[in-house]
Order: sequence, then structure tokens, then C-alpha cells
Amino acid sequence: MSQVQARFFTENKKYLIDDVPFSIPAASEVTDLSGVINKLLEAKNDGHKHVEFDFLVQGQFLRTSLASRMETENISTEEVVEIEYVEKFTAPQPEECVMHDDWISSVEADSEWILTGSYDKTARIWSMEGKAVMTVAGHTDVNLYNGLSSLLLTASLDQTIMLWEWNSERNKVKARHCCRGHAGSVDTVAVDPTRTKFCSGSWDKMLKIWSAVPTEEEDEIEEPNRPRKKQKTEQMGLTRTPLMTFSGHNEAVSSVLWMDAEELCSASWDHTIRLWDAETGGQKNTITGSKVFNCISYSPLCRRLASGSTDRHVRLWDPRSKDGSLVLLSLTSHNGWVTAVRWSPSHEHQLVSGSLDNVVKLWDTRSCKAPLYDLAAHEDKVMCVDWTENGLILSGGADNKLYTYRYSACVLDAGA
Amino acid sequence: MWCGNIRRRSAGCQQRGFWPSFLEASVKNAHTISSQSPISPSPPQSEQEVDKISLLVFITFSVRSQDIRNTVGNIPMEWYKDYPHIGYDLDGKKIFKPIRNKDELDEFLDKMENPDYWRTVQDKMTGADIRLSDEQVDLVHRLQQGKFGDVNFNEYEPAIDFFSNEVMIHPVTNRPQDKRSFIPSLIEKEKVGKLVHAIKMGWIKPRRPKETTPQYYDLWAKEDPNSILGRHKMHVPAPKMKLPGHQESYNPPPEYLLSEEERLAWEQQDPEDRKLSFLPQKFACLRAVPAYSRFIHERFERCLDLYLCPRQRKMRVNVNPEDLIPKLPKPKDLQPFPTTQSLVYRGHSSLVRSISVSPSGQWLVSGSDDCTVRFWEVSTARCLKTVEVGGAVKGVAWNPNPSICLVAVSYDDTVVLLNPGLGDRLVCTATDQLISSYEEPEEVMDQSVQWAVAEGEGHEQGHRLILKHPKAVRQVTWHGKGDYLACVMPDNGSSLQVVIHQVSKRRTQNPFRKNKGLVQCVSFHPIRPYFFVATQRYVRVYNLIKQELTKKLMANCKWISSMAIHPGGDNVICGSYDCRLAWFDLDLSTKPYKVLRHHKKALRSVAYHRHYPLFASGSDDGSVIVCHGMVYNDLLQNPLIVPVKVLKGHTITHDLGVLDVTFHPTQPWVFSSGADGTVRLFT
Repeated sequence: MSQVQARFFTENKKYLIDDVPFSIPAASEVTDLSGVINKLLEAKNDGHKHVEFDFLVQGQFLRTSLASRMETENISTEEVVEIEYVEKFTAPQPEECVMHDDWISSVEADSEWILTGSYDKTARIWSMEGKAVMTVAGHTDVNLYNGLSSLLLTASLDQTIMLWEWNSERNKVKARHCCRGHAGSVDTVAVDPTRTKFCSGSWDKMLKIWSAVPTEEEDEIEEPNRPRKKQKTEQMGLTRTPLMTFSGHNEAVSSVLWMDAEELCSASWDHTIRLWDAETGGQKNTITGSKVFNCISYSPLCRRLASGSTDRHVRLWDPRSKDGSLVLLSLTSHNGWVTAVRWSPSHEHQLVSGSLDNVVKLWDTRSCKAPLYDLAAHEDKVMCVDWTENGLILSGGADNKLYTYRYSACVLDAGA
Repeated sequence: MWCGNIRRRSAGCQQRGFWPSFLEASVKNAHTISSQSPISPSPPQSEQEVDKISLLVFITFSVRSQDIRNTVGNIPMEWYKDYPHIGYDLDGKKIFKPIRNKDELDEFLDKMENPDYWRTVQDKMTGADIRLSDEQVDLVHRLQQGKFGDVNFNEYEPAIDFFSNEVMIHPVTNRPQDKRSFIPSLIEKEKVGKLVHAIKMGWIKPRRPKETTPQYYDLWAKEDPNSILGRHKMHVPAPKMKLPGHQESYNPPPEYLLSEEERLAWEQQDPEDRKLSFLPQKFACLRAVPAYSRFIHERFERCLDLYLCPRQRKMRVNVNPEDLIPKLPKPKDLQPFPTTQSLVYRGHSSLVRSISVSPSGQWLVSGSDDCTVRFWEVSTARCLKTVEVGGAVKGVAWNPNPSICLVAVSYDDTVVLLNPGLGDRLVCTATDQLISSYEEPEEVMDQSVQWAVAEGEGHEQGHRLILKHPKAVRQVTWHGKGDYLACVMPDNGSSLQVVIHQVSKRRTQNPFRKNKGLVQCVSFHPIRPYFFVATQRYVRVYNLIKQELTKKLMANCKWISSMAIHPGGDNVICGSYDCRLAWFDLDLSTKPYKVLRHHKKALRSVAYHRHYPLFASGSDDGSVIVCHGMVYNDLLQNPLIVPVKVLKGHTITHDLGVLDVTFHPTQPWVFSSGADGTVRLFT
């Protein structure tokens, strides 16, 4: 088996070559194949510059030699092998390293601002260049999660969620509402796509849906026999009570997200991921895993759920499937608990995960054995990751540092 | 005597003193015969007798001729030795001894000169010398030779048999036959009648018929000729000998002969290592081959081989060692259990003696020798709070009641109840209210433990109640409801070793009046009102309501270090300093149901999981061993114990490894605290 008949194709019009089978040595690897494609392209148009390519055989990235791959996949050597080639993803470029005073528990970014929550009981707003813009201090305890532009949400171990209004021109933050109702630390919040509601998950096993619209006079009924509390609420904004409470989990809720405007998804320590109807509060589906779920992420592009749990694996689930305990794919390379996962907002195959082994990994689901890139900048546990629309990867951890990476390849590839 | 005397005399040794005895005897015979002869002058006497008599008659006659007849009778004549006479004659007169004045010289002269000296004898009866005649001398000679005295007596006359085997024509007696020989015997008739009667009556039984079966039988008569016999099965064929080759030949080809060096090497080798057992030799002809020098030796060895040869084929037991291992499920099938180290809680600067997890499973408290108590977030290993206390912390225990937020911390002789302020805010404030709402009872009881409310800075830190004990407190443990708190103060000499506090009433009681040994640890039964007290060798189970000893468990170990009660309440595990872990089934026996010896060093701590069938033990060898311990509801089924995982991670510091282990309340995770100042989470 020295020669293999192969036909190369790509979806990128820029690098199109003739649709004829080539005979290539079976022992050739990615660099050899890349050389072949570059030679062909050079022969076709003179102005071609050298480009590194990656190759997919039957939808999986080629990482070993072609021969061994065909052997493991049981591909007949008699037939013509269809090989897809894409431009190789360039490594994410580290941009900023932002120091915090304490561990970073959560991070969220949009195209302009970065919002981080920290264990020093504050949330901070940073510009993209890493300048501290605003410090939001108000929680009496460790600070956790956050939300949308101009309106900020912070959830805390002190069992409250605060809704802040931030005026970026005047750079002032005002606490609008203090959402009370949880009987345990609030571990996760998520804003629905319409930005009128948000959902929170807590250690008290409950999911609560709150209104995200700030109102002036909406001071909800407070029990009259607690004058001290009353005083506090006046300082910290108007008290708000939940619109709806979903109970069903047997253990703490670790992560919650909106799949669309009507559907909620929550992951819990009771080894389940549950799908809820946000309107009626009914459970639609349950995915049962074998370990505690730390985090979930949903990609509308590929309609898959990615979960990180208290073992080494990132698992992909199909939320629509009825037999909800089937793992589609598990990505195994971490050495510690996976504490954070985030799908790429623009690429249907890519996701990023952070783990207790201090490493952030960039994955492509077409290569489940090994990640595309390891981002090993953290010196301690990675607690949170985020991926913005404009191709910025952020990760924060127990070493008090927030790292940002520019990942350009996905932007280029997005059109494909 | 008779012959010997005469022979002596004939040999020439003539001692005269002997003669009288001879004569005396002969005289006596003469007397008896002479006295007989007149009574029975029976003519058919043998000639010998006749001859003897004639001799004696002659002698007596010769004496009588002198008419000296002694009448003393047949007495020893020595009696007259000292007398001048020798007896008495018929007239009653003394017979005087003849005057013998012969001295030795005369005697000698007489012997020399008298030719008849040798035939002269002295008559003792008379003391006179008598010269024996020729006939008498002849007679003496014949008697000396053992012949009959009579010359004419033929001792070899032909014998005539009167009663011989030959039937004679004429009867020996002439007597006619008796009449009774012609008529039948009456006695016999009577005897026969008796026998016939006995037979008729059945007293005599007819003789038993003879046994026809032979005494000896053929052992192999019934043997199946087709069956394979045991003897044949046991047949061990002799090993096949190699046929002799050229080397064994008396005239081998020269290449088989050893060279000088080879021969030396051969001689130096051990007999067992030699390739050849002999030296090939060359002889010109078969006649020149000498006798085999080692013949006897070899024969002896051969006999020895035969003698020592095993006569029985050894049945080798083919047991697969795998089969001897008891069938246990594979650890893989017993998931979930902790397998890897996930988080390390760093912060303590000295050894962490005790850890405890909050009932919700969100927080972890650890007490260390660096005089601090730290509160951690379980999922991130974040230290949320550090509380300083006044001494090395020996024990921490989180109140198991989820509606109370209290942590008992023991250091030195003090137990502090801390409110960490973690978890539900309402619960924390409710707990504070509960403590502050306490009202002093009217009558103050005299208690061995002083209760005090923390104030000032301590209160800021979370201290709520301070309990001062008379002695150093080693262990604190809560009752499942969260109101009672037991403290252990090990002391060999006092009965105050265990105290039970009631937090809501701030009361202290000492449940035991007697000291039954150094108390190591205590524990409440999770469901029933029982109280477990582990001393060095025993675990005593007390019924708190009846206030009596219910059970005494014998741990079979030297020094119990720790104890844990199964959440079901029927099983207890004990760790000991001699590396053992004993599992007791309280329903089964007071002896351990199983003893596990997996640790290499002393066990420091054991723990059960609240829901999962897991238990763990931490040891000085730095490892935590997790075992699957399934307890079945079916009382007939014994618990299944399978060691599933050895968890390593702690470094051994000052010969101490793991000091405490505890399970997460809901997840199959185990925490361990070590002498290296870390707490580790294994998942």
C-alpha cells in the first residue's frame, strides 16, 4: 500500500483545484498533503502564497499519516479517497493579561466591554484594551455572574442578584433592583434572547425567572416585620421577587442558559441536564449523565449542548433526542474537572473549555482526540471562559488573571 | 565310695584308717544276709548272691573263730575311739582293743618288710589286723573293675519272652471265660436308652451339615476382564535407556577417546555435571577389558534407586490460582467511587487534624495545628473564611442538622461553637437567634463544664458559645438531630472521659460513672438512641434511654484509633493503629465480620458515605483506601466488601500521612486531610 487514489475538494472558492483523483503516497502526512495542494495552486495561479492546510477524511481531521488513518477507519485502498481541505486555523494570539485583586469567578464580554466577577465581592467593567472602567461593588459576599450591556446583572453567594444600570458616558452605576428569593448561593444567571427576562440557578436547587426590565416604582411586597432588611434594600435598590420558580433538580443548579425565548436549559449537581418550558414551567426533557455537571453551553449553529463535568471530559449532547442519556461525542484531553465550556458563536465545530488543570483548550469537534490548541497561560485553576462574536476568547482563573486571545481564523472561516 | 577306697588302696596309697570302714560295711552286709538267710532259704537265688554270702560268711567265720563277737551293733565305731575297749562280747564283757604300740617307724618298717602288708586290713569291730586271702583279693579286684563278684555268673544269657506278640496255641491261663462275656451289657443298654431319650427330647441335636463353601476363595474370580485396572493405570513404565553408542565400545574410534586436557577437565568436573558418566577407553581385544571396577557401587546405587523410587504416582493437584480467589465483583462494576484527586485545598501551615463537610455539601471546614479553622468552598477549593482560635485544633464537626448553622471546634480544653455565616442567610440568623434566646434557668446546676457566650471580637469572628472543659478535648461529634454534642477527653485515671452537651439547654452530663479504659472516640447511632464508645480494644454500645450496656464489640486489635457507624446503623467499622480495619455487623456477632489489612501503617480515620455503599480509611502511609461496602436490606445476606481504590496524594510529613477522611454528603467524593497541611478532594 504505497500509493492511494485521492480526490481533494474544498468549500473555499479561493483555493479550488481541479476535481481529478491524484495518486499520493500512503505514508504522507498533513504537511506533505499541504505541500501537494500548494504546488497545485501555484501551478494554477502565479500569485499564490504558501498556505498551511488541514485535511479532513470522512469529517475528521487528519492527525496521523494517511495510511494509518485509513486502516483505523476501515477505508478500502482500492477506492478513491475523498479528502476535504481547509485553511489551517492559526493559533489564537494572546492579547491582554488583566490583573485582578482576587480570583475571577466569571467573565462575559461583548464587542466593546468586558465584565468580570471576582471573589473580592466586586464586578468590574473593562474596556477591550484591558483598562478598568468601572468597579461595581455592592455585594456582601463573593460575586459571581453578569449579563447585558448598560444593564448589568450580578449574582452572588449572598443569595441575591443585583440588577445595575450603567451609564457608559457618565461612567456611573446605579443599583436598580435587588432580586431576593433564593435560599442558597446564586451560581448562575442567564438573560433570555429578548432581554426582558433572566433566569437564575442556585444552590437551593431552584431555578427562578425574574423580569429584567428596570422599573422605578416596582418595589415588591416585603414582609413587614423586618425593618433592618428594609433599610438595606433602600440602599441596594428595590427588592424584586421572582416571576416563576422551577423546582425539579435534586441538587444544586450549577449552570443555566436559554436555548431560545421559550426554552430553558439547566445543569445540576444531581447529574442531570433538564430542559424547561419557560412559559409553563414544565420539564421537557432530561439528559442524565454520570457525573456532576459544572457548566453547559449551547450552540444554535450545530444545535448541540456541550457540558463540562467533574471529570476530564467535555461531552456533547443532542438536546432534542428523546433518549436523553446518549453522549454524542466526548472530548478528552483535560486532566482535571472541566469548569467552563463555551461554543464559538460563529463556528459550528469549535468550542473552548477551561479546566482545573490550568489549561484552556480550543476544540474542533471534528478532531475529538486532541484539541486544536492548548492555551496554557494560567498558573492556577481556570474558572471561566467566554468567546465573543468578534473572535475574542477570554479566560479567568484562580491566579487572578484574565487572559484574552484574538482568534482570527474563525472570523475568516465564518463565511465558509 | 566303696570302689574309690579300694582303688586307692590298690594304688599303693595305703592308709590304714580307711580299712575299718570297708570292713565294717562288709560286716554289716554279712549281718543282714545272715539274718535273712535263715528265714528264706529260697534255693532259686542267683549265683552272684550266693557267692557274696559265702564271702561274708567266710569273714564272719574267721572272726568267730577267735570268738570275739562284738555286740554294740551298727554304730559308728568312732564313738569308742577314746575308750580302751571297742565293744562288748556276748557275755557282756568289754572287748579291749588290741594293744597297738606301733609307731610311725614301725608302721614304715612293716610296710617295707611285710609282703602281705597291702592285703592286711584292720577290722574296726575288733581292731585286729586281718590278712585277706587270695579269693578275697580277687573278689575285691573284680568288684573294683565293675564285674560281678561271682566268676561263673554270665550276665549275657539269652532272654526268653513269655508274653510275646505271637499267638500261642495254648492259653497262658487255663481259666474258662466268664459268663458275662456271653450276655449283652446292661450298663450299655442303659446308656443307649439315655441317649435315645435325649435325642427324642431334642436335647441332642443332629450334627450340623458341613459347610460347603470353601474357606479360601478366588479374589479375582469376579473381575471384569475388560475394565482397566487401577494397577494398570498406575503402571509407570521405566524410562527408556539410551542405546550404547561408539563411546561405550571397548574399542571406540579414536575421535571418541578423550584427549589429555579433556580428561583432566572431565575429572575436575562434578560427577553430576559430567556429560559422560564414564571415560571412553580403548582395548586391543575384548579379552583385555578388565572387570568393571564400580560394579558393586553401581549395583548399590541401582538398588537404592529401586528402593527410593516412588511407588505411587503422585496425583498433582491442578488448581488454577485464580479459582482460589473469592469471587468479587470487579471494581469497574461498582462505580461510582472516587478515583482521582481533583482539588487540593491549600492554606494551612501545619497538619490538618480534622475536617468536616456541611450538610449541604457546599462547604468544608478544616481544623489545623496552626491554630486556625478554615472554611472552604468545596467546588473551587476557595478558602472563604479563616477563624483563629487559641490553640491547635483537634477536632471540628459541622452540625448535621441543615436548619442549624453551627460548627463545633475543639482545641486544648475548649470547645467553641462557631457560626460560620455560610449558606442560607435565614438559617444563619435563625441559629444566632436560637443561641441568644436562651434563658437562664432558675436553679443553676453544678456542671463540670462551663458555658460562656462569646462576645466582642470573638463574636465578630463567629464564635457563639465557649465550653470550658476540665481536660483537653480530643474529639467532638454531633448527634444526628444536631442538639446533642459529645466530647471525648481521654484520661486513664478518671471517670470523666466523655461528656454529652445539650446545646439548646446548655446542659452537660457525664453519662458514665466508671472508667472502663482510655476512650478513643465516641459516636451517636444515626437512628436509634444508642451511643458507641471505643476504648483501646473494645467498642461498647450503650442504650441511652435504658442507660445500660447493650453490646460489647471485641475488635481483636491492639489500639482502636477511629470508628464510623453505617448510616443504616447496623454496621460499624473500626480503624486501629495496628493497620487493621474491622467491620462489625451488629446483628451478626460481637467479633469482626471482616478484618481488612490493606494499609501499611496505622489507620487514623475511617468514614462511611451517607448514601453510596462506600467507606474509606486514611492511614499514616499517606494513602486513602476506598472500599465498596454494600449492606443489603435482606438480613440473610452478608455485607459485600470490595476494596476498590487506593488514593494517594498526601506527602508523608513527620511520619504522618492522612489524618482524617470524610465523604461528601451527596456526591461519591472523599476528602482527606493530611499532615502536609493540605486537604484533598478525590472524585
